Amino acid sequence: MNHQLLMSILILSPFVGFLINGFRYKKHSANLAGTIATAAAAISFLSAILLFIDLLGMPAESRKISVSFFDWITVADFKVKAGFLVDQISAVMILIVTGVGSLIHLFSVGYMHHDKGVAKYFAYLNLFLFNMLLLVLGDNLLVMFVGWEGVGLCSYLLIGFWFTDKEKAAAGMKAFITNRIGDAAFLLGMFVLFLTFGTLTFSEINALIPQSPETSWLGAITIGTLFLFIGATGKSAQIPLYVWLPDAMAGPTPVSALIHAATMVTAGVYMIIRLNPLFLMAPNTLMVIAIIGALTAVMAASIGLTQWDIKKVLAYSTVSQLGYMFLACGVGAFGAALFHLMTHAFFKALMFLGSGSVIHAMHEEQDIRKMGGLKKYLPITHFTFFLGWVAIIGMPPFAGFFSKDEILWMSFHSPLGHVGLWALGAIGATMTAFYMTRLMALTFWGKSRVPKDVHPHESPAVMTIPLIVLGILSVIGGWIGIPHVIGSILPGHPENIWEHWLSPVIKAVPNLGHAEASQEWLLMGVSVTLAAASAALAYHFYVQDPEKPKRFAAAMGKFYEVVYNKYFVDEGYFAWIINPLVRTSKNIWFYVDVNFIDKATYVLSDIVRGGGQFVRVLQNGNIQQYALYIAIGIVTTLAFVLMR
Amino acid sequence: MSPDVFLFWFLAILTVISGLMVVLMTNPVFSALSLAMTMVLIGALFVTLNATFLAGVQLIVYAGAVMVLFVMVLMLFDLKNEIYAFTRGKISGAFKVGSVGILAGLVIGSIGLTASTLLQSSTAPLVSMSGDTTKDLGKILFSQYLLGFEALGALLLIVAVGAVALARSKGGTHAK
Amino acid sequence: MRARKVAHMPSNFILEVGLPHYLVLSSLLFVTGMAGVLLRRNAIVMMMSIELMLNAVNLSFVAFSRYLGLLEGQVMVFFVMTIAAAEAAVGLALVVAIFKRFKEVNIRFFEHLKG
Repeated sequence: MNHQLLMSILILSPFVGFLINGFRYKKHSANLAGTIATAAAAISFLSAILLFIDLLGMPAESRKISVSFFDWITVADFKVKAGFLVDQISAVMILIVTGVGSLIHLFSVGYMHHDKGVAKYFAYLNLFLFNMLLLVLGDNLLVMFVGWEGVGLCSYLLIGFWFTDKEKAAAGMKAFITNRIGDAAFLLGMFVLFLTFGTLTFSEINALIPQSPETSWLGAITIGTLFLFIGATGKSAQIPLYVWLPDAMAGPTPVSALIHAATMVTAGVYMIIRLNPLFLMAPNTLMVIAIIGALTAVMAASIGLTQWDIKKVLAYSTVSQLGYMFLACGVGAFGAALFHLMTHAFFKALMFLGSGSVIHAMHEEQDIRKMGGLKKYLPITHFTFFLGWVAIIGMPPFAGFFSKDEILWMSFHSPLGHVGLWALGAIGATMTAFYMTRLMALTFWGKSRVPKDVHPHESPAVMTIPLIVLGILSVIGGWIGIPHVIGSILPGHPENIWEHWLSPVIKAVPNLGHAEASQEWLLMGVSVTLAAASAALAYHFYVQDPEKPKRFAAAMGKFYEVVYNKYFVDEGYFAWIINPLVRTSKNIWFYVDVNFIDKATYVLSDIVRGGGQFVRVLQNGNIQQYALYIAIGIVTTLAFVLMR
Repeated sequence: MSPDVFLFWFLAILTVISGLMVVLMTNPVFSALSLAMTMVLIGALFVTLNATFLAGVQLIVYAGAVMVLFVMVLMLFDLKNEIYAFTRGKISGAFKVGSVGILAGLVIGSIGLTASTLLQSSTAPLVSMSGDTTKDLGKILFSQYLLGFEALGALLLIVAVGAVALARSKGGTHAK
Repeated sequence: MRARKVAHMPSNFILEVGLPHYLVLSSLLFVTGMAGVLLRRNAIVMMMSIELMLNAVNLSFVAFSRYLGLLEGQVMVFFVMTIAAAEAAVGLALVVAIFKRFKEVNIRFFEHLKG
C-alpha cells in the first residue's frame, strides 16, 4: 500500500475520531463515544503495523519511510516541510503509542462508563494520540515541537478533566506551567541548533555533526543539547521539573496510564534518542543527563517508599523509571533507553490500569491503607498486577529485568559511565523493589482493611482484556533484547534482536571496551539479589509484621518526615521561586504600571482634553468669527509670501 | 489731463465713496442703493477698459436683477435704521479692523512695489485689444468654455429650485 | 519707457493711468467689502458686502484682460457674475428662512445652523 496514504491514515485517524467526538461532546453514551475513539486508535495501530511490516521488508541499512506532505514554512533559506519519518526508532514508538493507546482506550470504555463528559474525554484522548504521533513521526524538530506542545495541551486538559474540583484544575495548571519552562528551553535549544547547523531536520543535523566530541562547556552543541535536555526534564518529569507529574494523577486513571506513564512523559527520552549522534558529540551534556537521571531515579524511588496513595506511588515510580531512561541516555546507551522505554510502557501502563481497576472496584478510593486482601475479590487484576510487579522489580525473565539490567550494566561498563552511577542505579532498583512490594502487599495481600460499606468486585471484561494483553507483554516484552551473556547459555543462542534492529540508527558508544562476561554476571547477580532481598524485606514488613513499618518510621524520625513530605521540594519552589516572583510582579505592577505608566497616560489624556477645551472656544458657531480666522489666515499667508 | 484720465479718476473716486457707503450706512436700504450705484460705476469702468459687453451684463445682471432681489427682500422685511449696525466685540473688532487694514496695506504696497514690472509687461498688447471685444468674447465663450457655460446653466436651475425650497411659506427644508 | 517714468516721477502717477491704478482701486473696493463682511451684523448687508468684493475682483479681472491682451479674463468675469447671482439667490433664501423664524436678520442667528 502507498506509504503516503498509510501515513495519513495513521496520523489522521485519531484526529477524525477527535473531531467526531469533539462535535458531540455533550453526549453521554460511553459505548458509542468509546467505540469511535477506540476504533480510531485501532485503525491507527493497524496502519502502524502495516508500516512496520513494510519496514521489515527493506534492507537493514536503508530502513526508512519518509513522507513529506507539503512545505510548511518557507522563509528565505529557512524551509520546513510537514515531513514524517518512520525508521527503526519511530517505528517502535508508533507501535507503542498506538498499541498501548488502543488498549487504554478500550479500558477507558469501562472505566469512564458513568462519567458525564465521556465524549469529551474520548475526544481529548484521540487528540492526544494525534499529537503524540506528530511528535514521534516528525522528521524535524519543528514538527516535533508542534506535537510536543499538543501533547502538553492534552495533558493539561485531561489532568484537569474534572475541573470542577479546584485541586484537580490546579494540578492541570501546575503541569502546564511547569512544562512551559521546559518548552521555553526546548525552543532555545532549537534556536541554537538552527544557528549552528542552519537546519532543523533530524537527518540533516545528524549528517552535519562534527567528527570529534566537543569538550568545551560553552560550545554550541553542548549548550544546544543542554537546552533540549532542560526541555526534556519538563516533559519527562526529571529533577528539577518533576513536581508536576505526581500531581498529574488528579486526572482519570487511564490518562495517567497513557499520558503520564507510557507515552507522553517518554517524549523527552525519545527526543534525545532521536538526536543521539548529536548528543554523543556533547559528553558534558551526557554527563549532566546521566547524573540528573540517576539522582531522579533514587530520589523519586525514596519518595515512593512513603506514599499512601496508590497512584502517587506509581507516579513516583514513573519518575524514577524515567530517571533510568535518562541515565541510559547519559551513558550513551540509547538503545537500552529505548528498550526500557518500551518495557516500561508495558508494565507501567499495566500497573496504572490495574490501579484503575482497583480504584474502580473500591469506589474511587485511592488510599492503600484502606485496602488490603483484595486478591480474592480481584483475581484477574491481582494476577496481571503481579506480572507488572515482577517486571518492574527486575526479576528474570520478565521484561523489566532485561532493560533495567542493560542500563545498569552500561552505566558501569560504558566509558561515559561511572561506578557511582551504577551504585545509584542499584540503590534505586532496590528501593523500587521495596516500594512495589509494599504496594502489592498493602493492596492485594495481607488482611483486608476495606471499609465495611465497600464491596469490591472484579472489573468487566472490557477492562480486564487490556490488563491481560499488557500482562503478557510485560512477560515477553523483554525477550527481544536478551543480552549476549545470557543468550550464549540459553538453548538456541537467541540473538539480541533489539540491538541488531537499532544498530543502523543508533550510534554505538565510542571506545566501548571489551566486556568481561564474569563481571557482567556478577553485577547482574548483585542487582537481582538486592532487589529480591529488598522485596522479601518489604513482604516481611507489610504482610508478616504490619506493625514494624510504623516503628521503623518512628525510629527514622525527622528523616522519614522529610521523605514523606517529598523533600519539601514543592514548598521550596514556593518559598524561593514562585512567591518571590509573585511579590516582585506585584511590586512591578504597582510601581511601574499603576503609578507610572497609568499616570503618564492620564497626563497625556489631560493634555489632549485641555487642548480640546481651548480649541473649542474657537468653534463658537459665529460666522463672522470664522470669517475673521479666514482673514487672519489670508493676511498671514500673504505676509509670509511677500516677506520671503 | 486727457479725458480718459479724468474719466478714470472721476469714476474711481465715486466708486470708492459709494463702496464705503455700502458698509457704513446704518439703514440697509441706503446700503443697497449705494451698492447699486457702485455697480453702475464699475460698469462704467468696464467701458473704459474696452469691455463693453461685460459693462452691459453688469448693468443688467447686477444693477438690475441682483439688486432688485436685494431690495425686494429688504422691502419684505420692512427694515428700519439699525441701532446696532456693527458687531460689538472690542477685541475681535480690533482684530477685524486690523486684519483688513494690514491686508489693504500689503496688497496696495505690493502693487506699488511691482508697478514698474506690471507696466512693462502690459504695454505690448495694448493695440490688439483696443477694438471691440464682444465678438471675440462670444466666440471663445461658445467654443473653448462651452462646458463651463452649460454647467453654469445647470447650476442656475438647481439654485432656482433650491432657493424656492428654502424660502417656502412653511419654512426651511424640513417642512412640518 | 513709460514704466520708468511712472516709477521715478510722481506727477505722472496722476496723469498716466495704467494697470496699477485699476488694481489699487480694485483692492480698495475688496478690502471695503471685506470690512463689511466682518463688521456688519445684518445678514443682508453682509451679503451686499460680498457682492462688493466680487465686483472688486471682477474689476481686476477685466483690467488684467485689457492690459495683458487676454480674453480669458472677461470669460472669468462672466462666470463670476453668474455664480454671484446664484449665491445671492440662495443666500437671500436662507435669510428669509431665518427671518421667518426670528423676525430679525442678525447674523448671530445663523449660529443655529451649527448643529
